Amino acid sequence: MADVVLSNVNKKFGTFSAVENLNLDIQQGEFISLLGPSGCGKTTTLRMLAGLEFPTSGEIRIGDRVVNDVAPGDRDIAMVFQSYALYPHMSVGQNIAYPLKKRRVPKAERGEMVAKTAEMLQLTPLLNRKPKELSGGQQQRVALGRALVRDPKVFLFDEPLSNLDAKLRGYMRAELIELHQRLGRTMVYVTHDQLEAMTMSDRIAVMEGGKLQQFAPPQEVYRAPANRFVASFIGTPGMNIVDGELREENGRWLFEAEGLSVDAGHLGPDARPGPAAMGIRPEGLDIGAGPITGTVQLVEQTGHENITVVRLAGDLRMTGRTAPDQIWKTGAPVQFSIDATQAHFFAEGPTGKRLNREDPAVEAQAANHATLKEAIS
Amino acid sequence: MPKQVGPPDGQPDPERHIMAMQKQTLLERRYSMLGLLLIAPTVLVFCAVIVYPLISAIYLSLFKIFTPTLEGTWVGLDNYRELLTKGEFWTSLRTNLIWTVGTLSLQIIFGVGMALVLHQNIWFRSLARSLILFPYFISTVVAVLVWKWLFNDLYGILNHFMMSAGLIEFPIDYLGTMPNAMISVILVGAWKYFPFVVIAVLARLQSIPDQLYEAARIDGAGPIARFFDVTLPQLREVLVVIILLRAIWDFKEFDLIFLLTGGGPVTSTQTLPLVVYKEAFSLNQMGMAAAYAVIMMLIMLVFMLLYMRRTRTEGS
Amino acid sequence: MVRKIAFNLFAWSIVLVVAFPLFWMLVTSVKPQFELFRRPPTVLPETWTFEHYWKLLSETNFLGYFWNSVILSTTTTIVVVAIATLGSYSLVRFRYRGRESLAFLVLFTYLLPSVVLILPLYLMLVQLGLSNTITSLVIAYTTFALPYALWLLRSFMAGIPEDLESAALVDGASRLGAFWDVILPQLLPGIISTALFTFILSWNEYLYALVLVNSDEARPLTTGVMNMLISSFNIEWSLLMAASVMMSVPLIVVFAFLQSYLTRGFGAGGVKG
Repeated sequence: MADVVLSNVNKKFGTFSAVENLNLDIQQGEFISLLGPSGCGKTTTLRMLAGLEFPTSGEIRIGDRVVNDVAPGDRDIAMVFQSYALYPHMSVGQNIAYPLKKRRVPKAERGEMVAKTAEMLQLTPLLNRKPKELSGGQQQRVALGRALVRDPKVFLFDEPLSNLDAKLRGYMRAELIELHQRLGRTMVYVTHDQLEAMTMSDRIAVMEGGKLQQFAPPQEVYRAPANRFVASFIGTPGMNIVDGELREENGRWLFEAEGLSVDAGHLGPDARPGPAAMGIRPEGLDIGAGPITGTVQLVEQTGHENITVVRLAGDLRMTGRTAPDQIWKTGAPVQFSIDATQAHFFAEGPTGKRLNREDPAVEAQAANHATLKEAIS
Repeated sequence: MPKQVGPPDGQPDPERHIMAMQKQTLLERRYSMLGLLLIAPTVLVFCAVIVYPLISAIYLSLFKIFTPTLEGTWVGLDNYRELLTKGEFWTSLRTNLIWTVGTLSLQIIFGVGMALVLHQNIWFRSLARSLILFPYFISTVVAVLVWKWLFNDLYGILNHFMMSAGLIEFPIDYLGTMPNAMISVILVGAWKYFPFVVIAVLARLQSIPDQLYEAARIDGAGPIARFFDVTLPQLREVLVVIILLRAIWDFKEFDLIFLLTGGGPVTSTQTLPLVVYKEAFSLNQMGMAAAYAVIMMLIMLVFMLLYMRRTRTEGS
Repeated sequence: MVRKIAFNLFAWSIVLVVAFPLFWMLVTSVKPQFELFRRPPTVLPETWTFEHYWKLLSETNFLGYFWNSVILSTTTTIVVVAIATLGSYSLVRFRYRGRESLAFLVLFTYLLPSVVLILPLYLMLVQLGLSNTITSLVIAYTTFALPYALWLLRSFMAGIPEDLESAALVDGASRLGAFWDVILPQLLPGIISTALFTFILSWNEYLYALVLVNSDEARPLTTGVMNMLISSFNIEWSLLMAASVMMSVPLIVVFAFLQSYLTRGFGAGGVKG
């Protein structure tokens, strides 16, 4: 059952369009990430869900109600802010109790609920402290406590982990996943960090320029990016994207760039001859042997693998993954090949659509990926 | 969990609902209404005591009004014509500019200098700061009384100091002769208002990151080079704002000059605000006074607009 | 080390020169009349006396003026700060048409010279039959105090993170509830600063008091004390200095206990804009 629905939502600030014609269908109990670079409209979308911004047009539903005209406090949501937004003049206990107080929960019951929440988040010894006497991690837990205490229908998170250090961030990520599993509540999570989105979400909504680019499970976003933007945004190191041209020859498509030619096989009906782009993830490159020659520009050793950057003619750079013992000197010539079955082809432009591939070999890959998807979920 | 349906008027019929969503949501409109309600007292008071008087000031300036009876006859722009051909307006404007430029430059020089001194780690810094700050906050009446006593020709301590230092042979009349009166007024003005510059500059100095000075030191800059290459450029912006603001305030200063010299001797320290007062309440020419006030406001408008543009660009 | 001492002496001698007039005011007020005219003058009084203070309180109308000033400044401060708190909340946190032009008008009036407004205000208050009352002064003082307070509070208000209010809304508060629960406590230091500035501004005002009030019933300290100077046959400087000291008492109190609020107000209103 759909729990949160945005239909044709637009948000304009003056003439600037922050969110354009957004449609999202979030299922009950789902964990959804809104992912994109800053200024892509993800926070505006979340704030519209919360009732802190108002859509210029379109409809927002939470549960069975249209909430466009419902005040934030009556939407049965809770929100964790990037800045935590703890009330500085209230103690930790008062902060957590505030939403209950505003909902006229009797005092005795309130105390019990605060104690329970504090217990769960290990905040009990801190209940009488003021927010400024807490560490960043503790403040974060208080903000979480204030959201948890009244068991809302939907949780909204606005980059809640971005002010924590890397180690704590990893820990809190695991905590949030566990929390989601335990509560089974719908959660909408805004982040610019793809690692957070990939590890935590059931589905990711990738946004750019106020528009939804793709709304799919993490593996699908990774393996079958809807367009060039999603392809380049997701993945570290990023997908290699080469601008070139598509050409049709005897029913088969051929992608050509300077010093590079890849057999694209059969492409869907959207394919047109002319400017296009090819994308290939670093794991689709086989460095060490193959028909293409380049020079090694850089080898980054991460421990369990090496990231190798190869330079081709025309100043084109491609990144591949290699085994930790495969080390080349900078400037050394190297042979490599591109696994054409793993390559994606995109129509022209920065958000050019991915072209469907209709090859048996590629379909086999896709089937492989489908089973993988099942294994994950 | 208690649940409430948001707006009290519930779900409107579908058509109206769609229309509402095309423009503003009900909630957004309710917020705007609340915003207007909260600003309403401000707007009312503004209209009653500022906007209305401002407009009537311009209206008044088109009449010839005898203050005690408040009876007036329409004279159109005659007041302005008369005023601009009279010597008094131009001499007062000149006096006003001399006062403004004189006291403002002293305020800036002393203010920046004092701020640099107080920025250093001197003994009892906060006490020193309080003492420096005090003149700015005392009433002009107090400042004038104290200075009049200091300036007193027979028993004033200032003449005593000057004479025992051998600077002068006979007591000086500080306020009754020219150019002494103008110099005295400018000095007292500088004394009263330079703390404003001190505090503003000090606040800015404290926000200059230490790395800038360290970097300059590593690059081999001495204390003087550091002042000109690091401190001054950092102060430029705040100084522009201070100068504009103080220029506006000094230009319209009434109390200090009126109380110290009353514009005298004769009219040598009579600035425009003093003329307005004189025309209205000594010469009983309310209409002419209004014309003076309006002209004065027009002159100040240049600085006001500059300052407003400045704060606006800074804000956005 | 020597350089440090020299610098300190230099700095403090300037500070003392600046503070000397105020020191002299204090000294004069506790010197007996005959000692004032001693040549050379005594730096510290040989005989301390509080007779001038006593005379000021018992033989002049100083206490009446003082009381008028207290009522006048307190009323102005309360009225202005109350209106400006609501107004600045609206200006900073709400969206409606004309908001920008209103903010512009506030800044404009903040810089407006009072001599422009004083003539029509005088006429208006005479017509309303309010001349020679404290009420007329409260109304007149609003013309400079309200734009000033609005401008200060606007900048304090803008310094409160918007997220705090958003959090309160999501937690179930109404706009006014969030204002009361979250914004007001955060704004309190700003309100205190603004109130202090407004109070001092009203306490020190001279021109409106000179024009609008012509009876001892309603006369505040500024014009009252100046009247003592003008009306007395021979000027009693000690008495005037005692009056000056007494007149500065509220200020000294503020300086002793609440100075940080004053410097904070400086940053918010005057310079940062």
